Amino acid sequence: MTEANVTVSQVGTGSVPENWKPHIVALVCNWCSYAGADMAGTTRLEYPANVRMVRFPCTGRMSPLMILRAFEQGADGVLVSGCHPGDCHYVQGNLVARRRFTIFRSLMDFIGIDLNRLHFAWVSAAEGHKWAKVVNEVTTAVQEAGPLPSFENPEGWDGIDLPVMEGSGPQELDQGQLDAIRTNLRKAASEVLKTERVGVVVGYGAGALLDQTHAVLITDTADCENLEWGRSCRNNLSAYVGSALEKHERVAVVAKTCDLGAITGLIREGQLRRDQILVIGVQCPGIVDGLELATKCLSCSGDPHPICDLVVTVEGVHESCEDPSTSALDTPDARDEQIAHLESLPYDERWKYWQRQFSRCLRCYACRAACPLCYCSTCITDKHRPQWVPTSIDNQGNSAWNIIRAVHLAGRCSGCDECSRVCPADIRLDLINRKLSLEVERQYGKIGLDPEEKSALVDFRMEDAEEFIL
Amino acid sequence: MDSSWKLTDAQLREWLSGLIEGNSVVAPVEEDGVLLFRPIASEDQAIVKPSGKTRWSPKEFLFPRSEALYRYNFKGGSVQLEDPSLPEGHQVLFGMRSCDASGIVRLDEIFLSGTKDRLYAARRENTTVVSTACAAADPECFCTAVGYSPVGEEGSDVQLVPVGEDWMLRALTDKGRNLVGDAGDNWAEATVKDEKEIEELEKTVAGQIERSPVNREWSQVLEEGFEHGAWDRLAQHCLGCSVCAYVCPSCSCFDMNHDANAFCGEQCRSWDACTFPLFTHHASGHNPRETRQERYRQRVLHKFAFREENDEPFRCVGCGRCVALCPAGLDIVSTVAAAVEAIREEGADAAR
Repeated sequence: MTEANVTVSQVGTGSVPENWKPHIVALVCNWCSYAGADMAGTTRLEYPANVRMVRFPCTGRMSPLMILRAFEQGADGVLVSGCHPGDCHYVQGNLVARRRFTIFRSLMDFIGIDLNRLHFAWVSAAEGHKWAKVVNEVTTAVQEAGPLPSFENPEGWDGIDLPVMEGSGPQELDQGQLDAIRTNLRKAASEVLKTERVGVVVGYGAGALLDQTHAVLITDTADCENLEWGRSCRNNLSAYVGSALEKHERVAVVAKTCDLGAITGLIREGQLRRDQILVIGVQCPGIVDGLELATKCLSCSGDPHPICDLVVTVEGVHESCEDPSTSALDTPDARDEQIAHLESLPYDERWKYWQRQFSRCLRCYACRAACPLCYCSTCITDKHRPQWVPTSIDNQGNSAWNIIRAVHLAGRCSGCDECSRVCPADIRLDLINRKLSLEVERQYGKIGLDPEEKSALVDFRMEDAEEFIL
Repeated sequence: MDSSWKLTDAQLREWLSGLIEGNSVVAPVEEDGVLLFRPIASEDQAIVKPSGKTRWSPKEFLFPRSEALYRYNFKGGSVQLEDPSLPEGHQVLFGMRSCDASGIVRLDEIFLSGTKDRLYAARRENTTVVSTACAAADPECFCTAVGYSPVGEEGSDVQLVPVGEDWMLRALTDKGRNLVGDAGDNWAEATVKDEKEIEELEKTVAGQIERSPVNREWSQVLEEGFEHGAWDRLAQHCLGCSVCAYVCPSCSCFDMNHDANAFCGEQCRSWDACTFPLFTHHASGHNPRETRQERYRQRVLHKFAFREENDEPFRCVGCGRCVALCPAGLDIVSTVAAAVEAIREEGADAAR
């Protein structure tokens, strides 16, 4: 671990000293691998002394936060070891953990952590020999990877130019058509309030600046005239549904197609009942972020999705029938080329790319605030007994925050891009989210718009892939 | 006009290049498409005449996002305390706008009046501010509405004024004159006519700002209407992040935090914001500012009310960053106007 004369913020400063030996932290399950290591000891098996063990009740208890913590505190490599599938003392802890590790591993790879540093193994209490073998392999791999790169903004580094994203975006709507949609929207909102189908309509109102809008909570039909629609209706209004429900039994929310995944997510996770919400899907011209069409719009048609209760188009308003069969991720995404480009780069370049991005993070937590699916009453970063996410606003703490935010949304993120839109530092959170969505989809199938579906990371199959586990 | 010169763009860049030797120069640069202040290694990294303002103010170079107040480590059986060395070396903050320079003076009022903050004072002492008067207002700008000016001199040691393709450079303080040093011998002195350009510039840029002024008398109205029901409505779409506070040139709140491992640790001071619930969360569990509305009101009032004298400037310098970057589209200027209107019309005690 960190030497006594090195300060907390100085871990991992790069250069390889002579006779360097890696520090490796092993997070092990009490019921198997810990006993397995004990067995290796009593059998007098020899293995390198670089590994320090931390005992856990189960791999299911191991949060990616704990692996991150080891790296923050100066570990060059981490080994996670638990019971073989089917042998869990708590029946299924290791099966849920397996999915979590699969996704976390792909994220670490994406942000530039050499996978030679991060290992997973199943070692039972009887497998002393396997424990010795695993430790040998892991130590060799980490030795090869070298000291952990430092958490800092790379100096004198030129940066990476990512491929330009292309896509045609939604069908163009002229001013007349937008006016027609706005009129129809106001009519629809007024109607649902008048007929008392809902107590409040959450929509967009004009903001202070020309190209700004903000959420308005409308309870009076007369105020429906303040509802706006256009290319500046950026917010995902489902973030306001929770607070609107505090005062009203039923809420109508104006939604773009990209906002729907969050609503489904909230229902799926028990934050909202389907009968508490009336979704007004509106034909979308695509939103403008800065001066350009937002990334998420490049490959979107803008058509309201059939999951909506009411559909507002240029032609008028109609009731819709629910058909959750279409996946939000069916279409190719303009970002995929950028992700592929980053993945083609060596670890070192990837690490620098993300460290530069994270160095700008102010820890304003706008990403969390704008995310409809970040609804925890106390966020993990605000918990300080113990303080899992370092609060200092530096690359170490910023990396931990940005990684854990992504991990907590893996398999849940609906891709609305609100986090990257609101980030004052333009951190490409959208790339991280998209990368994890792709990984979850590749491993465990598509995330659709069906609220009855279970999120991939709270589920498991006995036969889940585990080719990376030793 | 002994401390005023007229420079070509090339002369200005040459001067900037000279400053880098012997100083740590912080200037606007573009990083991954974001304009922000970073230390520069060569003059060509700096964007001297950017379109638009940096994402956030340069306050972090005086009041870092996080800094250690003390460190300790365990050696053998004993604990060794370490005092972080005071910041050394001279830094030049180059190219901030007038609003940001005023923001620094607002920070000075917090950190240097009464008990001086040791670390801030050392940094401030070693810092020279070279500001740039605005050539144009951005859509979010409203400095003139809150009593500041696009060509304001407050907080600047040297002021650069864009004059067509050229620059006027004015050394306003001893620090500024020292920074110019002998370089001024090679520059043409500014004429009275050049100085007149500043007034013209102020008129032009102020004309681009469309916000109606925030009246100084409103502070008292806002304070009287502290409990007014309008706050609930005005801040109902606040999402509770702290973009506004962290990009603000004058927000100065911080938290104490501790980073440690089994061998060593440090006590840090990190930025914090009144918009976060943890900012006022008591150890008992009680939170005097329970709701987002109360927290947002605190921020607004700290900018526009809670002033001791009527001629005391607003703590909002009008850069408009919080308006442009608010994820929820909240606008501090119209919030103040709407709150004052509601309090006046309905009385200070109108119920929530």
